[in-house]
Amino acid sequence: MIEVGQITDNRPVAKNLFELSIKLPGIAELYQGPGQFVAILPARSWENPLRRPMSIASVSGDILSIIFKIFGQGTRKLSRLRPGDAVDVLGPLGNTFDLSPADQPILIGGGVGLAPILNLYDLFSQRNLEPILILGARNESEHFLEHEPENRVWLTTDDGSDGLEGDVMVALRKVMKSVEKVTIYGCGPEPMLKVLQAYSVENGVQIQISVESYMGCGIGICQGCVIKNESSTVKDHSYHEKYTLVCTNGPVFNASEIDLD
Amino acid sequence: MIELKIKIGNTFFQNPVFVASGTFGYGLEAVKIGLDLSGFGGIVSKSITRYPREGNPPPRLVETASGMINSIGLANVGVEKFVSDILPEMEKLGTPVIVNIAGTDREEYIQVLEMIESVNPDIAGYEINISCPNVKQGGMEFGVDPVMTGQLTADLRKRTNKLLIMKLSPNVTSIAEIAQAAEAEGADALSAINTVVGMSIDSTTRKSNIYTYYGGLSGPAIKPVGLACVNKVYNSVKIPVIGIGGITNGADMAEYFIAGAVAVQVGTANFRDPGIALKIVQEFSDYCEGQKLISCMELTGTLLKNKPT
Repeated sequence: MIEVGQITDNRPVAKNLFELSIKLPGIAELYQGPGQFVAILPARSWENPLRRPMSIASVSGDILSIIFKIFGQGTRKLSRLRPGDAVDVLGPLGNTFDLSPADQPILIGGGVGLAPILNLYDLFSQRNLEPILILGARNESEHFLEHEPENRVWLTTDDGSDGLEGDVMVALRKVMKSVEKVTIYGCGPEPMLKVLQAYSVENGVQIQISVESYMGCGIGICQGCVIKNESSTVKDHSYHEKYTLVCTNGPVFNASEIDLD
Repeated sequence: MIELKIKIGNTFFQNPVFVASGTFGYGLEAVKIGLDLSGFGGIVSKSITRYPREGNPPPRLVETASGMINSIGLANVGVEKFVSDILPEMEKLGTPVIVNIAGTDREEYIQVLEMIESVNPDIAGYEINISCPNVKQGGMEFGVDPVMTGQLTADLRKRTNKLLIMKLSPNVTSIAEIAQAAEAEGADALSAINTVVGMSIDSTTRKSNIYTYYGGLSGPAIKPVGLACVNKVYNSVKIPVIGIGGITNGADMAEYFIAGAVAVQVGTANFRDPGIALKIVQEFSDYCEGQKLISCMELTGTLLKNKPT
């Protein structure tokens, strides 16, 4: 549905990272779980005709929150909205993470990918499933949680200024030494997802990833947001076999199903 | 109450607002999200081709200033699946259906039309997407050449009595010439414009934001181009013109009528709000009442001349 909601909060949570909270009772009621996203209009003006897809970071009662980075002028406009301002939102869209595997969950987030990952982390924690959380960033200014391995929260930074030095794989390899059957949930920049995908194949580990895409309509009509399927038999003429839509068949996929190149 | 009923060729439509090809799928998706299609003038389907097409590799679309560029690549189910699975559902939508056809050579257009006609479909007619490269003529687009446009129009005209609309490209030297070629060979109407060739480059990566480098620009940015094309076509043919390009509200629609359109199609705006065409009908109706018109047809081609100096 399309719903116009009032902003209740819009605050920076880390360097260039904002958490925007909006009162959206209608969308909140339709919300099914972590993985889903909403498509937000930065402003009424037609300078930016298209909605911006943003993963849902949390839904609490009527209040839906997203976490976003300033990427271009659309997101810059979003960052300037104040409590009380109205914002036009389409949602909830997309599929959810599959929570049925009964293995040890390991959640990995990078950049704005941490929105659905933190969402999932809260859900697993509420269910006492003791999730392990790994968050990667370039340096400490981009983190807002604490590195607490004793509480199963691992941070990594490229420059070592917070947590482990390196990328999320450094923390993952360390964690994997002391766990048995795992299911990994990942969301972050494309290079991170590609590395996770390779790791999944090499080690036979189940990994679910949430991917990003430019989007047009967000509801499966325009065919603008496709991602390549991994194993498609190449036929001369086909439709929806080589490509699949991120907005309706995703954004969550099994890492083995899709081709990130 | 302003009269919004219009006639194009021999076909009546309850109002002059359609949704443009490629921006509304086959109409079935909109129904699934609860939209009531009975208030639309009609739906133009996604382009149908002879064979199924996956479309282009991503990225397929990117926003640009007041617009967007798309290079979807005519992704569609192909005519056989369209006829068996989708057309029967479209016939139940409760709003007139215009099937858009695309092809890579003359035979493909003809085959698609014939295959649809053979099931005696309950549709208003066809819109022919001529902004397609003719692979048998070195990839030159049908719509840049009056001879190819005329020939294609003639081929299809003799195979259907239904409404036949040729959709014109703006990427031409003389759109009037193309329009006249289509009129001469029996097109019932013209629609203008299809997308404008455009490009979007990321200066930090030096890459194109569209996989195929060039794509089609649409949205408010192209309204001035659409208006100019509609006006030129209006001044060069007698058959009706349907205006397309950057319409987001009733005033935009009125501008197209004044330039010469008898109806309009809403495209890019649907991505923001699939129900926007209904709002545009209402706004246009209010505008016409404000102008003290009895029927919207009175507005067509009423651009005032400037005083000679």
